[in-house]
Amino acid sequence: MSSAAGPDPSEAPEERHFLSTAEAAALERELLEDYRFGRQQLVELCGHASAVAVTKRTVLVVCGPEQNGAVGLVCARHLRVFEYEPTIFYPTRSLDLLHRDLTTQCEKMDIPFLSYLPTEVQLINEAYGLVVDAVLGPGVEPGEVGGPCTRALATLKLLSIPLVSLDIPSGWDAETGSDSEDGLRPDVLVSLAAPKRCAGRFSGRHHFVAGRFVPDDVRRKFALRLPGYTGTDCVAAL
Amino acid sequence: MSRLRALLGLGLLVAGSRVPRIKSQTIACRSGPTWWGPQRLNSGGRWDSEVMASTVVKYLSQEEAQAVDQELFNEYQFSVDQLMELAGLSCATAIAKAYPPTSMSRSPPTVLVICGPGNNGGDGLVCARHLKLFGYEPTIYYPKRPNKPLFTALVTQCQKMDIPFLGEMPAEPMTIDELYELVVDAIFGFSFKGDVREPFHSILSVLKGLTVPIASIDIPSGAGIQKVGWGRLGPYPPDSCPHQV
Repeated sequence: MSSAAGPDPSEAPEERHFLSTAEAAALERELLEDYRFGRQQLVELCGHASAVAVTKRTVLVVCGPEQNGAVGLVCARHLRVFEYEPTIFYPTRSLDLLHRDLTTQCEKMDIPFLSYLPTEVQLINEAYGLVVDAVLGPGVEPGEVGGPCTRALATLKLLSIPLVSLDIPSGWDAETGSDSEDGLRPDVLVSLAAPKRCAGRFSGRHHFVAGRFVPDDVRRKFALRLPGYTGTDCVAAL
Repeated sequence: MSRLRALLGLGLLVAGSRVPRIKSQTIACRSGPTWWGPQRLNSGGRWDSEVMASTVVKYLSQEEAQAVDQELFNEYQFSVDQLMELAGLSCATAIAKAYPPTSMSRSPPTVLVICGPGNNGGDGLVCARHLKLFGYEPTIYYPKRPNKPLFTALVTQCQKMDIPFLGEMPAEPMTIDELYELVVDAIFGFSFKGDVREPFHSILSVLKGLTVPIASIDIPSGAGIQKVGWGRLGPYPPDSCPHQV
């Protein structure tokens, strides 16, 4: 990918960079079924890469009950390893083994779990340097995640400290990015594996793709054109 | 910290387990001679106190290494898959720092990864995959494969990424020197005990004759980690990539 040249004007932007929700699911299926990656491996690689995008010391990581939340738990652990000060808000806990083990790892590493998120956003602005939104991934309806997560998202809309969203800004439609006006306005977006269509509407400062682990053949199969990664970096800036 | 205290005052925090955070590896160094590399051995194998003052790193005995592993699995509920992925990624990163692609002759640089029959071999498989993603051209030799889903999955991931698996080990060191710029030794790890069985005994003999550098995962294979004075596996001190998260 030439970083000097701009986008090819004859190519529609959404074909250049982004995946539809169906394609994203198909890409994940390919990694799980054809490449025999385990879900644990992929979540670990995504969470580790997401932590690289954080630059403030005190971080609140808000985790939903599905895969996005699992990535958030991994991210929080790596933030601790990187010597940041993460705190987790994980109100609706998944019962599956992967989530339970990831939670144990965070607890054992002395990462505090909030029992309650203040609705007064100023308290959050004052307590933390940055918030990581790991609530909703593509294909998960806001209504599926329960009251506390929904209320948390309402509070995060009013945040004045930076917000880093994992994969998609929670609550955005993954295809159209609708609700991107009324919804979360992240400062940083970390697309996992590859950007989703709604990322076209992202207007924050930095968009990273955490997809170093995606094999070249899979990238070619989905006709993804993404910037190259330098050195041993696990994220690339778009 | 005062901001967190403010939240604490509001009774919002639920305590996690109060494991004290260790900022750096602190504990006193192991007494006795070391097995690091030529420069240490040339100093007579004695404990160089000046060196120790500047590098406060603890080296683990086999029992301690096994105890760390057990703690990670039992207390922290890490899975083998997780730790192996992190270990292999860390090793590939270390290798890329020690032998950057730009410093190598070929483009992409060719690397032979030799994987043993246990977890060290699994680390090697993960490492090879990440080396490919970092722009190297790895080839794997994996003669003894455990019949477990974790390992068969790792092999599939490598195969799908077009990483070739050799059918047999080149018999002559010179052959390896000509084909590969670096060898990754992922044969035996810290839990290795006893005698080296074939085919690994022959493999280690070949590796001893190499002129290209060898990067060993965790420990140089065949070196008893309690002992001193092992035969060098290669002309450069091995890179060790410990199993630490």
